[in-house]
Amino acid sequence: MKTINRISIFLITGILVIMGSCQKLDVVPNNLLSDDQIFSSEAGINVYLAQVYRKLPIEDFTYRPAGRDGQSGFNLHHEWEHFWHSGAACGEMVGPWGGMDIGGGFGYWPYKDIRAVNYFIETLPKYSANFAGNKVNELLGEAYFLRAYYYFALAKRYGGVPLIAVTQNYPDQSIEELQVPRNTEEDTWNFIGNDCDQAIAMLPETNVAERANKYAAAALKSRAMLYAGSIAKYGSQNFVDGDARAMGFVGIAAEKADGFFQKAIEAAKQLEGKYSLYSANTNKEQNYADAFLDDKSPENILVRNYSIPSRTAHSWDATFSPRFMTANALSRAYPTLEFVERSGALNVTNGDGTPTRYTNLADAFQGLEPRLRGTIYFPGDVLRDRRFDVQRGLYPSFSGTAADEVAKDPNSRKYMLSGDPNTTFEGKTIIGQTGISTSGDDKTRTGFYVRKYIDYRRPQADVDLFTSTTHWIEFRYAEVLLNRAEADIETGQLDDALAALNLIRNRAGATPLTMADMTVDVVRNERCMELAFENHYWWDLKRWRTADVVLNNARFKGLMPYFVMNEGKYIFLKEPETFGRNYNFEKRFYYEPIPGGELGKNPNLYPNNPNY
Amino acid sequence: MKLRMGKLLLGACILLAASCVKPDNYDGPDASFEGSVLNEGFKQNLQTCTGNFAIRLEQLSWSETPSPQDIPIKYDGTFKNSKLFSGHYRVSLKGGAFWPIPPVELDISKGTTYDFQVTPYLNVENFTYELDGTTLTLHFNVSAPIDGIPNVIEVQPYVNTTEIVGPGASIYDFSDVFRKTVNKAYTDLSEEDRTITIEDLIPGRTFFVRVGVRFDNSDKSSNLSEIIKIEVPQQ
Repeated sequence: MKTINRISIFLITGILVIMGSCQKLDVVPNNLLSDDQIFSSEAGINVYLAQVYRKLPIEDFTYRPAGRDGQSGFNLHHEWEHFWHSGAACGEMVGPWGGMDIGGGFGYWPYKDIRAVNYFIETLPKYSANFAGNKVNELLGEAYFLRAYYYFALAKRYGGVPLIAVTQNYPDQSIEELQVPRNTEEDTWNFIGNDCDQAIAMLPETNVAERANKYAAAALKSRAMLYAGSIAKYGSQNFVDGDARAMGFVGIAAEKADGFFQKAIEAAKQLEGKYSLYSANTNKEQNYADAFLDDKSPENILVRNYSIPSRTAHSWDATFSPRFMTANALSRAYPTLEFVERSGALNVTNGDGTPTRYTNLADAFQGLEPRLRGTIYFPGDVLRDRRFDVQRGLYPSFSGTAADEVAKDPNSRKYMLSGDPNTTFEGKTIIGQTGISTSGDDKTRTGFYVRKYIDYRRPQADVDLFTSTTHWIEFRYAEVLLNRAEADIETGQLDDALAALNLIRNRAGATPLTMADMTVDVVRNERCMELAFENHYWWDLKRWRTADVVLNNARFKGLMPYFVMNEGKYIFLKEPETFGRNYNFEKRFYYEPIPGGELGKNPNLYPNNPNY
Repeated sequence: MKLRMGKLLLGACILLAASCVKPDNYDGPDASFEGSVLNEGFKQNLQTCTGNFAIRLEQLSWSETPSPQDIPIKYDGTFKNSKLFSGHYRVSLKGGAFWPIPPVELDISKGTTYDFQVTPYLNVENFTYELDGTTLTLHFNVSAPIDGIPNVIEVQPYVNTTEIVGPGASIYDFSDVFRKTVNKAYTDLSEEDRTITIEDLIPGRTFFVRVGVRFDNSDKSSNLSEIIKIEVPQQ
């Protein structure tokens, strides 16, 4: 009996277990959102789009132009080393790069993110009954803006890329169908222009923070069409021959340039009267510095915000000012004298060539353009109650001209230098707490520090890593005006260019330009000054096709302050930056190589860009 | 019974262990490819410097769209790679200041050699020097075997302490500092453009010196003179 009982219990348990296995696990996963959840309400849409916006290839504070450890350089998690800045690889600044190290890019290939946008464009109309009024169209317009933005990031790197405007599906589609060939560079830029047009037509005039409105799309269009115009014009003069060029994958016919420039102007004009340059403060220097800190600025068209609770805070404050003025971290990228002198040569010598003697460091920089003062911290400036006491070394005495002194063999110069800010000579410290040191690069190599985007209002003790929440301005009205002025000059519309440039010059506190100044060189210089350190310079050098001339084994200079002991005065010498690094741009870098992994997956991407 | 179990286990272990051996029946990279790049008409190697251009290999027997691999040219105008896979390759020259030549297709196996004949844009000739204390004056002429070459963007001396000297292997303060930007056709190079003065060389040192004429072509490459050895006297 006992045995029978045991057997029946055994059997019943067995049958129950087997029966249980007939249940197929068919539960909706609760950690994934379904189409119904996303597309049935605006809240769902906002979640979906927030993802897309976070992945948008915005070259903000955290952008690393050569990527990081094999990852894409965009939107990196836990990234604090903002001194790996594109401007520090091409002479706007000197920085940790060993030279011009960013020519090959990092193999950016965001088709997964583009697919998310295409999916949105295809799926949303199916749920249009859930939205009142014009909302569906407005959201679609936003998606066109986002897609244009992705393709813009691709086109400026690779030229022509496969234009994929529908979602691809595997295994429904065969591998051969999914291996989409490259489109020509001209088609790619036109595709971006068309997506912008759709966005401009569908988007509303107003927007919530960090999201695009109609004018953000127009600003993107003015930027993209200006790029296309200059690539058509200058890329047909300075280019590298190869199969990809012969087939139109890189390069645009020169006669197309005017059409693109005209589109840039038309797009820029749409913002007229809708946005204006920031001018809240009558002190133009302070006003320019605040333009990047005030989130109410009427100049901002599209911004990205950062916050500590969302773990998106950045480290710009802690990595662009010396440790002397922050609570932690270090700085490693410094503006060059070549950049500073874009608004005019610094005059630190007398008529006879001898260095001018100054009682205070700051005396040398009086009367400079307010915008330049608002962009750069000069020796003698003050941040968080501490002075930029930049000093390269001591001269017991100094005679002769600046030029003769700089030309001397360093061993025969009668000066004292040091690697340690606490080393003294006859009671006088040899170098300042903020540089210029003979060792390391945690203090300035050029005499200057970046001021743009530095939040001077924060107390020193708070300035640590991942504590900066200053917004990044992706599109601001000054750039739109500069896009318009440059395209104007390229197409001979000088009156319009002059008006646009003088708006910017007025806000900058600079002397107004005249019709005689309306040349390509002047508008480019103005752009470099206004948009400094905003990750524009690198792309501008490339689209102007001047990078191989400007960065032809180039070395950059700094302005070195010395204290002359027997006179008790400061002098300034223009000398090579302390690392003496060499920057060379090869012509093939005008286009990045198509990523090797993608070439392996899709043979239709061949030929690769010239000379790779 | 126990004994048999032991034998079975032993047998199983041996079989398991044997399964770990994977015979790789692919040939190793045992092929080699070497040769020289000759200056057509001169029966001597092209004047060049380490890495100034490359021999590009594309293994067509592996894939229709192979990833290229490059052999950098050596300073004496020869090249060699002794770790290649045997196969059918397309071989071309990548970069360099000479008239482009069409790619060749050939089978590379053990000990394959191939010499390229190229015509440089310019031959740098009659290269002379005069040393006065620590000041070195260089002079040269140029001749173009074939007309219609790219513009010359700059002329510069290359100075190094070894005979491996040229673009990418020179002392900045004696080389790049004395670079002359010219931006003109080679026929317009003046006597002044073809004369370079290097100042303040270090007394008592030996230097290897040559000059280069750099073109505005795709890779901004240079034609180089022969190398001269300079001994700067002790002061």
